[in-house]
Amino acid sequence: MSTTRRSFLATALAGGAASVMLARDLYAQEGGPIVIGHQVELTGGFASWGYWHDKAAKAAAKLINEGGGIAGRRLDLVTEDTESSPATGARKLRSLIQRNRAAFVTGSVHSGVMLASIPIATELKTVYFSTGEATEATGSRGTRYAFRSGTDTYALAAAGAPWAFNNLGKTWTMIFPDYAWGHSHHQEHKAVIERLGGKVHDPIAVPLDARDLLPYLTRIPQDTEVLFSVFFGAQSVAFYTQAKALGLEKTMRMYSVSGTMEAIAPEDMEGAAEGVVVVENFPRMLRFKDDEFHREHLRIMEVDPVHARETSSRRVYAKSHAWQAWENLFLLKRAIEVSGWRTKRNDPDVIRALEGMEVPNSLAHPQGAKLLRAQDHSGMIDCYISRIESNEYRVKHMVPRAELQAMLPPRVDFTTQAL
Amino acid sequence: MLANLATLALNGLAWGLIVALIALGLSIIFGLLDVINVAHGDLFMVGGVLAWTAVETTGSFAAALVVVPLLGMALGLATERFAIRPILRNPALTIVSTFGLSLILQEAVRATFGPAPRRLMAPLPGTLPVFGTNYEIYRLAAAVAAALALAAFFLFQQRTRFGTWMRAVRHDRETALTLGIPVARVQLLTFALGAALALLGGVIAAPITTVDFRAGVEILPACFMAVVIGGLGNLPGTAAAAVLLAVTEGVVSGLSDPTAARITSLCLMSAVLLLRPQGLFAGAAR
Repeated sequence: MSTTRRSFLATALAGGAASVMLARDLYAQEGGPIVIGHQVELTGGFASWGYWHDKAAKAAAKLINEGGGIAGRRLDLVTEDTESSPATGARKLRSLIQRNRAAFVTGSVHSGVMLASIPIATELKTVYFSTGEATEATGSRGTRYAFRSGTDTYALAAAGAPWAFNNLGKTWTMIFPDYAWGHSHHQEHKAVIERLGGKVHDPIAVPLDARDLLPYLTRIPQDTEVLFSVFFGAQSVAFYTQAKALGLEKTMRMYSVSGTMEAIAPEDMEGAAEGVVVVENFPRMLRFKDDEFHREHLRIMEVDPVHARETSSRRVYAKSHAWQAWENLFLLKRAIEVSGWRTKRNDPDVIRALEGMEVPNSLAHPQGAKLLRAQDHSGMIDCYISRIESNEYRVKHMVPRAELQAMLPPRVDFTTQAL
Repeated sequence: MLANLATLALNGLAWGLIVALIALGLSIIFGLLDVINVAHGDLFMVGGVLAWTAVETTGSFAAALVVVPLLGMALGLATERFAIRPILRNPALTIVSTFGLSLILQEAVRATFGPAPRRLMAPLPGTLPVFGTNYEIYRLAAAVAAALALAAFFLFQQRTRFGTWMRAVRHDRETALTLGIPVARVQLLTFALGAALALLGGVIAAPITTVDFRAGVEILPACFMAVVIGGLGNLPGTAAAAVLLAVTEGVVSGLSDPTAARITSLCLMSAVLLLRPQGLFAGAAR
């Protein structure tokens, strides 16, 4: 076959591309650092949480490197700010994987960012740990590359709603911000309460930018026994403040999930949160899970054992979610070491190692022992139902992970997807 | 049902008066300088943060009511002098400039005050039975304070020499200049006054809402809607539109879904843009 100018160019381009890929692979095989990306909300609406996710991931990476790294290789943690925006978060994820060559990514707590990121991580065949709560991430929109070590709206409803039904009341009204996270909580909790024989009034969905909530609070039916709210950040403080001013807590029980008061101290709400019952993933107070690992974790994170407030500032540890940024790095370390991972080519082995992985209560996993369930890639963890009393989160009931798992049949099976 | 609607209408009026105060600042800045101040919501946010700081420091809400608007004037003077005046001839650039200011204010507050929201206790706690609902006393006081501030502003504009200059510059800048009115000084002080109104709104609203670095992002759309419906640069129209929007949203949310109330407001704005692009209250005194 004679060589033409066109065939020469085609061969040269193909050769060039192959050499680039080969060089990249060889680089990864050199036993150099393992790059893990951290996609986090350092600015924007989720910045109060992002600060802690960033701090937890950096502390965990330091701990791993001081202990000899991952399989003897140094861990390089590369952090990108999503600006709390799904579009920016998706762009930064591509940057982490394609420009920074992150082999794995521990990702966003912002459900919008998380759901925008999973298709990209899947397209680029990169293991992605999300930390948000939208159930779709390990459900209808999940893939074999997406994992979550914490809880979602499905798990939070299973953990808390039966206890709240038995102990707080049978007639419920749900009030939430008018977007996916709020609706997801409403649907999951409504299903549990109705299955138990309770009554659920029409939901009240509040526009995201509403700060004057009185028009919505006056719609709450008088016979409500349990008012379930799932606001976030400033809107959450506005909700509790305005509900308290109306005296709603005198006629109904206030019930919620930890996300509504994450990174917020009840004492900073000047009594508005008193009496609220919340489901926590990691008890804010040390004494309700008092062990050496929890104590050491708090010491490293530089927070006090009662209010989880940073010792050098007034910030409050976003404890029920940010532990995932810490633990996800240790889950990846374990999977890499167990599977013998060396390059991206070995990613399927890491995924198989993560599927069904059980880890003990330890400094690597201070939230507690847990199972990363194979079918839906979801963490099965202990949950805590706490009541705010004298500005402290006092645990009233613990839901063991085995009990949670029994109430939470998997809705998907990612293990059937090809790698 | 009727009692509930009456409560919601009253609440709409109270909230609308606070929004009117903030929107008025936006409108006078646009009316005089042709500047769309994208950072106006963030000035409102800074007002809340400074109020919280003042109350933490002095224990007095009254001190916050006096000091914070004065700080707002100082911030407005600096902004006009350094971020607006050098590019005043190019309206597109002023949008970029105020957007930059918005980011600077948000990130400065996030870095210093912190990203977590805080609650500011109402200086007048307690409730009053109004139409069968326990209505917060502070909301009524806030509405009165906002109404007084609005009245004071309109009196200032009608009865003082500077107010006359403001109206003259808004009406015809070139003629005002030829008549010897110090247009540059009027513009400078108008921007400062607009900023002070936003910060005052922040102080009054803080005990009702919350204090956090994103508060400005959420209030700005309501202010822009009031300015559009009232007529660009039409000050009484802006104030009336803010109240109209808040009352409408309150009443509609009592009759149907809260989201429908927001849709009603947007439809009202769209209708005004299509049918009366000069504003619903065009013809009212400028």
